Parts: sequence; structure tokens; C-alpha cells
Amino acid sequence: MQYFRSRRDFLFQSCGGISGLALAWLLDQDRLLAGTCDSNSAISGPLAPRKPHFKPRATRVISLFMSGGVSHVDTFDPKPSLAKYAGTPLTGKGDIIVRQGNPGPLMPSPFRFSKYGQSGLDVSEIFPNIGSKADEIALLRSVYGQSNDHVQAHYELSTGMIRMGYPSLGSWVTYGLGSENQNLPGFVVIYDAHGGPFGGPVNWSAGFMPAAYQGTVFRASDVPIVDLKPPASVTPEEQRSRLDLLMKLNEMDAAKYPGNTELAARISSYELAYRMQACAPEAVDISSESQAVKKLYGLDDAKTEPFGRQCLMARRLVERGVRFVQLYHGGLGIQNVDTWDAHENVEDNHRRHGYEVDRPIAGLLTDLKQSGLLDSTLVIWHCEFGRMPISQRGLGRDHNPGAMSMWMAGAGIEGGQVIGSSDEFGYKAQEQPIPVHDVHATILYLLGMDHTKLTYRFNGRDMRLTDVYGNLIPQIARAGERKTA
Amino acid sequence: MRSFLTAILVAFTALTAAAQDKSAARNVSFAGDIRPVFEKSCWNCHAGSNQLGGLNLATREDALKGGAHGTVLMPGDAAKSRLYKLVAGEEKLRMPLGGQLTATEIESIRLWIDQGAAWDSGPVSQSKATSQGPVTEPPLSPHARDYWAFQLPVRPPVPQSSEKNPIDAFIRSRLDAMGIKPAPQADKVTLLRRAYLDLIGMPPTPAEASEFLNDSSPDAWEKLIDRLLASPHYGERWGRYWLDVARYADSNGFEHDFDRPNAWRYRDYVIRSFNEDKPWSDFLREQIAGDELPHVTYDSIIATGFLRSYAKVGFREKDNPEFRYEYLDDMIATIGRGVLGLTVQCARCHDHKFDPIRQEDYYRLQASLWGAVEVDTPLVPKQQAEAWTRENAAVDARVAALKGQLKALEKPYRDRILPAKYAKFPQNIQEAIATPEAKRTPGQALLAGQVIRTVSVSEAEIDRIISPADKQERKRILDLIAAEEKQRPAPIPQAMAMTDGDYRFTPDGPGDEPAPGKGKKQEQVEGSYLHTGDGPYVPPPSYFKIRGDVNSKGHLTQPGFIKVITYGNPATVLTPPTPDTSGRRLALAEWLVSRDNPLTARVIVNRIWHHHFGRGIVATLDNFGKNGEAPVNQQLLEWLAVEFMDRGWSVKQMHRLIMTSETYKMASEFPDAATLASNMAKDPENRFDWRRRVERLDAEAIRDSILAVSGSLNPEIGGRPVFPVLPPEVLKQVSTGIWSQKEEGPEVWRRSVYIYRKRTLPFPFLDAFDLPNQNLSCGARNITTVPTQALTLMNDSFVQRQSEIFGKRLVTEAPGDKGKQIRLAYRIALSREPSAREFELAQDFLATRTLADFTSVIFNLNEFLYTR
Repeated sequence: MQYFRSRRDFLFQSCGGISGLALAWLLDQDRLLAGTCDSNSAISGPLAPRKPHFKPRATRVISLFMSGGVSHVDTFDPKPSLAKYAGTPLTGKGDIIVRQGNPGPLMPSPFRFSKYGQSGLDVSEIFPNIGSKADEIALLRSVYGQSNDHVQAHYELSTGMIRMGYPSLGSWVTYGLGSENQNLPGFVVIYDAHGGPFGGPVNWSAGFMPAAYQGTVFRASDVPIVDLKPPASVTPEEQRSRLDLLMKLNEMDAAKYPGNTELAARISSYELAYRMQACAPEAVDISSESQAVKKLYGLDDAKTEPFGRQCLMARRLVERGVRFVQLYHGGLGIQNVDTWDAHENVEDNHRRHGYEVDRPIAGLLTDLKQSGLLDSTLVIWHCEFGRMPISQRGLGRDHNPGAMSMWMAGAGIEGGQVIGSSDEFGYKAQEQPIPVHDVHATILYLLGMDHTKLTYRFNGRDMRLTDVYGNLIPQIARAGERKTA
Repeated sequence: MRSFLTAILVAFTALTAAAQDKSAARNVSFAGDIRPVFEKSCWNCHAGSNQLGGLNLATREDALKGGAHGTVLMPGDAAKSRLYKLVAGEEKLRMPLGGQLTATEIESIRLWIDQGAAWDSGPVSQSKATSQGPVTEPPLSPHARDYWAFQLPVRPPVPQSSEKNPIDAFIRSRLDAMGIKPAPQADKVTLLRRAYLDLIGMPPTPAEASEFLNDSSPDAWEKLIDRLLASPHYGERWGRYWLDVARYADSNGFEHDFDRPNAWRYRDYVIRSFNEDKPWSDFLREQIAGDELPHVTYDSIIATGFLRSYAKVGFREKDNPEFRYEYLDDMIATIGRGVLGLTVQCARCHDHKFDPIRQEDYYRLQASLWGAVEVDTPLVPKQQAEAWTRENAAVDARVAALKGQLKALEKPYRDRILPAKYAKFPQNIQEAIATPEAKRTPGQALLAGQVIRTVSVSEAEIDRIISPADKQERKRILDLIAAEEKQRPAPIPQAMAMTDGDYRFTPDGPGDEPAPGKGKKQEQVEGSYLHTGDGPYVPPPSYFKIRGDVNSKGHLTQPGFIKVITYGNPATVLTPPTPDTSGRRLALAEWLVSRDNPLTARVIVNRIWHHHFGRGIVATLDNFGKNGEAPVNQQLLEWLAVEFMDRGWSVKQMHRLIMTSETYKMASEFPDAATLASNMAKDPENRFDWRRRVERLDAEAIRDSILAVSGSLNPEIGGRPVFPVLPPEVLKQVSTGIWSQKEEGPEVWRRSVYIYRKRTLPFPFLDAFDLPNQNLSCGARNITTVPTQALTLMNDSFVQRQSEIFGKRLVTEAPGDKGKQIRLAYRIALSREPSAREFELAQDFLATRTLADFTSVIFNLNEFLYTR
């Protein structure tokens, strides 16, 4: 195992894309070395980059989690039968399982659907810009979950399990592949300005794996990570001199333990942390982006600005080698209002939230495509469950884990295709039902990993993201040739 | 893992097309049509030794007698027979509990009763109802026990050696054989710090350090160990390890993450038990069956909180029988890993893949725990508790009456307001409501029902239109209610406990809500949650689940244990001291702590070894099965396990034994480079303990040491959890449950074991240093080294604040002299004087920087953060 042996070794490397000037305030002139970026050759430890099982189709992931549950029948899965049988009970499906109260009658979508792209994908009027990307995305209409409870459904999408305590998808990916940039966390979470999603940090927990693999929450500020900077009372100079003394004392101490890799790793972690202080704010500082780019993400509109900022931050992070970026739209301010949880009024709720994310998401896809990053980046759009084809008190829709729509883009995935279907009302997955484990297996596959071989030994058992389940979704998997790395 | 929803779904398909096949008044035979139904669905609870509700359906004569709630069978009149009404769902509680008959079966019963309820075949045989075992459970393979951990430990002879302590004899004879030279003894300061950090998780104060360093008597070390074992802080440190195993937390987890207001009593019980050196066997007995012991105490009741420490969805089990299996699985997994070091939960759906643990074993254990239900037990004398309940009930009754008056008063106003509220709904709803009930289309009926059932009128809305006279009357009633509420007796302390009962009658608890898909809560039904009345408690029936699927009911299960590690013929049910419990958990506890259990003692001595040395003799603390790591020194493990039992399962004696060994006292440094290289070549990972491991302190010890050194630690022992300040951006991540934070100050500067354990939000400072996941049982914590830990220690406002306080402490205790302050800082934090070079560096630093800058550096020193 190799470790950095001195501070100087560290400083030869600066963070990905950072300018010398940005570092100058931190470092003494004599230490400042124009760095080649993102070299990881000498890095070891939990986040060291690791080879996938086979040639990957993508090396990073941006996951767009619409928290609260998007109504598939009002967005990506139009159901003419809802209009035809409007106002009548949904029958022939056994007992109708709702989350709140009692079932209502079938309710048509308040939205118009149009065909988009060469593929002619049907997308609702609330997503005109995402619709314009129809030929880039592979739409899954038959994903289903196990729980109609927000939190358990979140945990299922996040970890594969509806119980608490298991590592999240982002943790598995970071564990499997390490990070490409040691100056930033490998797994970053940016949640909605209103607050965290249902179920909170358990969604990005590393479960029984080391904490190194858990998601790090980023905020859109110059101190994106909690504790990234010292308290205001401590100046950068004070901090640097503290660190200098600490390094001297720790190196004197380590000399007593020749060959002790743990003490050496701890010393090196301080230099990494120190560089993260410069690299992390730079990574999410969007002030250097052009007006055109900002507009592309919707930063010119107060309603689209918050999620646009999240999406733009995501692009900057994956550009700098962050392995997994998890964005949430919908946060626990007021549940029915600030999330997609449209119990009251699906039209109001989804029109508002659709507007908030439509331009930012389309902008992200455009930007990634233009910069060529989309080829090596997997973008996933999903929620925790779909919504009911029947009404809740006239205008709302209740939770429905029986069917949900989800899409993937990038990673060489064949765009414009529709995979699976839900039944004529959208109550249950019908053709090619896809459990969440299959989605996870396929995501790992795209990243060059075999979900049956990505294991972490816990308590004497080789644990997997997909437990004992999981099959690849052939239409997603087939696009690229599998080659051994 | 398995779908709760499918569980709910499939249960309902049966009766939708209840064919009213009245035309063909076919003749029904008892033997052909009814007996199979009784056998499958009735006799498990209403025949033989189980006669729930006092009802026995074994013979026609018995059936005609009826049960505790009266007659059930009126031959010739199904419509009046409760037997029919209960299975048809016409009367609550629908039978059979937790399932229902098919439409054909129900119809057969109707016809059978109408046709006179002839009983033309014999009664249920005794064996049928009481011991319906698996169809075939093959005998244990003759090789099943060909594995060390499944055999009883036998005290091995201590190897011939000049070592006084047998531990050294075992370790050193092994090292000798391998040609590995052990490290010399560590110096006194190192040993002192090692002992303090190991046993109480905080460094010694300068006075405590002097006491030992100046003690030149031959038993100075032994006296130090005794002092530390007598410290109440010992239990806070070692109890914490068990709390990891017990997946203890102060909240429920999941969506609501409800507070568990009494969970902390279990945490304190664990700390107390370690401090009292409660024999491990008693400690386990209390946690598994504290309510069934011959001498039930408050502590033994609190101890059963161990079983109840699973993460829990906020729905009643009555509404969610599916979840009950998850909680039981959690208990079984925790007892399996935590007590036995076996991954028993792997046998839930199939036989264990690696160990000879059968699926039958799993369901036997499940049956042993099956009766357990959650209960909050008052921790006051019975009379006082009864008085408390009575007084509360009296207030409840008077308040209910007043609320009735209030409701009547408000009714006309509500009736006036509701139409206006309905008018705010869309047209289709209004039309549905306006349509007379009988004329509504099926869709309209659904819509109207959804709204009428859920729209309510608020007090504020009534206030706006109420007449002055009624308003006054209303205020009078509200005042009376308020006055009544003041009459409530003061709350009494309660334990979050478990005891036997019947989960099918779980009463409403705070925060309960309807299960997903069930629409509304099941109504309260007759039936007793806890055992009452005459006769012994009978647990509800439990069944083998085919492939672990909660809907694939197999045979009736009986309590019992894991065959491969069961020696002799231990009782699977013991007679409990009161008839209120089954004695099944008591038998389970006795089996666990029996000398004939091969694993319990081995597992705990291995845990103790791990926490002293940083690595267990078996490295996989929670898995002694074939997929775990092999013991590096099996003889030593066997010897320790037997010695432990012989010494009365005393944990403190094991500490003394281990810490007085030369093996424990070895240095982590190795003076001679050539020998070091040779040792490294033979055992690079130090698996055979030839030197001390350099180990980072765990999360709590880091925070506690900072508080102890700065001087701001509030050393209070036990009590309700504390809520240190969290930054708003952290609190924003979660919105449910509680975090009632206080100002930073002595109130929250308690030891970290007292910080509120919130399942959905691990405390960030501790989380950074590998706090274990609080939702799964965990023996060995991860130890990682990542930049975020450095950021936390350099930048967190807690560390900054404590650095400042430590700086002020130095000024107070060594005023005016920077040199003295530097030396004092070293003595307080590191129990030693600085070297000349260190002193010089510190002086140079302080020429331009503050003491707080300096103390912040101290808190980041590896020497401060590691035991060595």
C-alpha cells in the first residue's frame, strides 16, 4: 500500500480544475505548485479508484429523485381509459389499496399529452422541455415497488430494502468504484431547498459499510459542506499555522511507529481535508458559468432557479470526477405542497413542480450532451412510487407503488424507447414488470459492475445491493457491447 | 426482502365473488365439508389445550356449550349462529383471526348449520391440536456438529510456560512456536492511558495520573484496574458496546420516527448492569425474560426493552400483522448475532446455506418469542399504578361526558358550516354529495364517502358564527374540561418493556395510525391484549412460513431452539411464576445461558477480548459460524470461555484477568528493527498478538475525551437523553420525530452515550467517526480514516468552543506563564511533559497564536486520538 509520505507529495496535486489563483489565498507561495488535476495514482484507502468488473458504459451517475411520488398517468404514461371511465369505480383489480382513506372513482388526467421527438414519445404538457429530449431517454413504465409508505418506498429506491440500515445505491457505487477525485467526496447529495426528502439521511447512509461511503450533503453556498471551513473567528492564516504545527507534531509522533500505515493515513487525511476546503467551494461555485449556461438551467427564473442550481452543481461535480450525485426535488417543508405528494390536487401540485424541474432537467441533458459528458454519465429520473388512477377527494391522487414511470439517459442508452407498460388504468405494472432490484442491477451493470459480484462482507455474509434478486433490464443493457476491462 | 403489499393484496381476493349458491341446497357433510375447515382454520385455537375465548369446537357437545361470550351454534339457524356470523364477517372479530375462509367454505358452514349441524365423525384428536409438528423434520446429520463452535467448550490444559497468567502461556507458546518475539512491556504512561481509555473511555486527569505514576508498589497496576472498574464511568464505556449490539435508539425510525420517551431507562439499565458486574447469565436472562423470572424487579422489566429495540413503523401490529414478522426477525437476528454469534436470520426462508441451522430452528425460536407484545409497565408499586390508572380513567370519563355536551352544542353550527366546506370541492364531489345517498352512482358513492368522512369543522370556524349565549356555554364546558385535565395524576415512570400477550388485540397507542391500504384502523374488539382472568395464558398460535412468505402458512410451530447447538433435552417451556406469561422466553433464556450452550460464553469473552485488543480471537464478533473467521487461538478462546463461566460469568473479572497479562501490557512500538522485520514477515497483521495495536478511539471516546480535557464534562450518570445543538442545515434533513436542542453548555456536555439516538439522524459528530448504524445489531465498529473526520476536528464549532475553554482552563490553572501553560496542556491531554522540541515548537507557535489555537492542535494530535 502506498500512502503520501509528506505534505509536499500532496500539494503536487491540486483539485480538479482549480485555478492557481484560487489556491493562492490558502497556500504559501513557495508551496504553490501548478498542479496537474485529478491524478489519483498514489492514492489508496477507501475512496481510491477501483477497476470495474468489465468495461463500463458510464463512469458517473446523476440521480434525480422526485420526492413525494410523481403521478405516472399525468406525466409519462397517458391512459385514455381514465377519461373513458371517469367517475366510475376501478373494478376487477381486487381490493384497491390506498394509503389514505377510501378509494375514489377513476379520474382522468388534467393534462394534455403530446408526442415528442422522432420516437413520438407521449409526454404531458407539464414537461415540454423534457419532452423535447424524448429521443435521449429510455422510459420505463413498468417499475413497481413494495411499499405505499413514503419512507419505506424511499428506502427501497435508495437501498433496495424497505427496512432501515442498508447501504444506499450511491454508497455501493462509491464502494465499488472509488472516487476519481480525492479532493471531493465520491458521493454527493444535494437536497431540495425546502428540506430533506422523506426518510432523511438514511437515504444516503452507508448502512453497515464504513462511513467513508456515505453521501456527503452539499449546499449551494461557499461552505457547501458542514464543517468545511473553520468558525468565523478563525482566520485562514490561523488555520494554516494550526495545521503546520499539527503536521510537525504528528510526523514526530509517527516516526516512532515506522510502517504504521494508519497513522500515515490520518496525517494525509488532513492534507486532503485542507485541499477539500478549496476544492469543494470551487466545485459548486457557479459564478464562473456563462449567462447562456445559467439560462439553460433556468437560473433566470425564480421558480426554476433552485432546482436549476442543483442541476448545474451536479454537472460541475461529475465534471470534476464525483462518482455519484444524488439530487432531490421535493423536500419536507409542507408535505403536500413542497413535495410531489399530490393528495389534494394533482393539477396544481404537478403543474407547479413540473415547471420547477422541467427546464433545469432538460438543460442538464443539453449541457451534458454538448460537453460530451452524457456519453459517460448515467442520468436517472425517478420517484418513490407512482400515483393512483383514481381520485382522492375529487382532485388528488393517492400513492401507488404498483406502477411508476422512470427514465434513464446517457451511458450509451438507446433513447426514445419505451420499456414495459402498466395496465390500461396505470394501476399495476403489466408488460415486463420491473422490480427495483432490477433497476439497481442494471445501474451497476452500466457502471461496469456485476450486481452479483459487488459484495460487502458483513457479519460473515456477502451482502449485495440486490440481496438475492435482480435481473438486468435487457433493453437498457443491450445498447453497449460488454467487453472485459 | 418480501413484499408487505403483496401480503395485503392476496389476503383479499377470496371473498369478492361470494357466490350466493342458495339454489342448490346441497347436502353438506361434516366429514367431507366441515371437518377439513375446522382442522385447517379453527381447531388450532379452539380445541385441545388451546381454547381461546373459552370456546372448544372439538365435539358437537362442546360446540353447543359456546364460549366465554355465549352460544355460538344454533343448529338449524345459521343466521343466528355466531359461528357463522364470525366466519362470514357479519360480526367482529372476523374468524379465523388474521385470515378468512373462502366463500365456498363459508357457504358450507351456513348450509351445515341450517341443515342441523350434524357431527358425523369423531372429535379432534388431542395430538392434532397440540403438537402439529412438521411433516418430516429429518434428524440432525451425524456431521452437523463436526465444527468447533457447535461443540461444548472444554477447558484445555494451559501450555507449559514460565508465564503466571494463563493468557500469556497460550499466546506466548504460540509465538514461540512461530518464532515471533513479543514486544516488551509498554512504559507506565502508555499503560496508564491505555487502561483509562479502555475501561472508561477518557484519559486520566493529572492527579489520577500522578497517583499511578508515583505508586511504586508492586500491585500499583492491579489497584489502578480496580479503581477504574469501580468508576461509574466504566459502565458508560462498556455498556455502549452492548447498546450497539442491542441496536438501541431513542426513536422508532421510519416515517414518523416517533420519540420513545422511556427508551433511556434500558440504556441506563445496561450501564448499571455493567457497573454492578451483573453476571452475564443474569444480564441475558433479564433481557430475554425479565418479566418471567422468579424475582421480577423494575430492572428486570426494563431489561426486556432489549427485545423491543427494533426500528418500528408507526402502525399497530393489529392492523399490520405483516410487520410483526419483521420485528420478530429483528429479535431473532439480534439474539442470534448478539448472544450466539450465529446468523440465525438467514434461515427464515430456507435452511441456512452454510451452517446446519434449519428453517425449522428459526420458526421454533420465533414460536419461543411469539407471545411477546409491547407494553409500558409502570415502575411504581402495583397499588399506586392501579390508583393512577383509575384516576386517569375517571378523568377520561368526565372529560368524555363534557366533550359529548360540547359536541351536541356545536352540532348545529357544524351542520351549517359543512355545506360551505363541501362547496369548495370540485363540481363532481358537490354533485355526488347533493345526490341522495340511494341514488348515487357507484363512483359518486366513493367520492361522497371520501369527502364526508374526511371533512371536519374546526373550532375556529365555529367561533366565527356561534351565538353569544352558546359561546358562553361553550367556554363554560371548555373551562370544565381544562379543570378536569388539571385533576390528572402526575405521570408515573414507565418502562418500555415486553411481556406476553395477544398481538391481535393491540390497543391504540400514541402515534398509531391506520396501516397503508387499510383505510382506517380496525375497531377495538373484544379480546384481551394482556392476559386476564382465570387460567394460564395461552400464546396465540404461530406457524411455519413456507419460503418465509408470511402468507404461506405451514404447520403449527412449537417453541424450541437451534438443534445443532442444543445438548441434552432442555425444557422449551418453563413454568413462569405467574399465569400471565407462557414461560417460553424463560426457557429460551435458560437455554442461552446454560453451560450446555456452546456459544454464549465464547461469544461474550470474544467481545471483551476484541474491545481490549482491537481484534477478536474470532475476528467476526457476530458470526462464529462456518462463514465467520476461524479463531486465531482456539485453545485460548476455549480456556477463557470456561474460565468465564467458572468465575460466575463475571465480566469485570475477565477485564482483570486480561489486563494483568503481559500480553495486554505489551508496547505498540518495537525497539529492535530487525526483530520487527522478522515478526512482520511472519505475521504482518499482528493476528497472533505480538504487539499492541495502535487504535483510533471510537466516536464517543473522542468527544468525551475532548470534554474531559477541556474541563467542561458534566459527569452526571444516567437520565433522559440530551440534545446538543445541531446546525439548521442538518436539522433540515429530517422533519419528523424530535430534536429539542438546548444551548451548548453543561446540560449537553454529558458523555456521548447520553446523546439522543435518533434513528433517522445519527448525531453528525459521532457519525463522522463511524458511529455504527443504529438500526442493525453491530458488534465490531468500522474504523475509517477520511478527510471529513479531519474537517470535523479542525472546524466543528464544538471543537472550537472546547479549545477555547481548554485555553481558559490553562490560563486559570497556570496564569501568566506560557511555558507553564504548555506543560500543563500536555499533562492534562497527554499525561506527560512535552519534549524539548515539542516545547520549542509550541512556544514559537504561541508567539503569534492564541492558546485556543494551540489546544485545537492538541485535540487533533494522533497521540490524543489513538490508544497505543
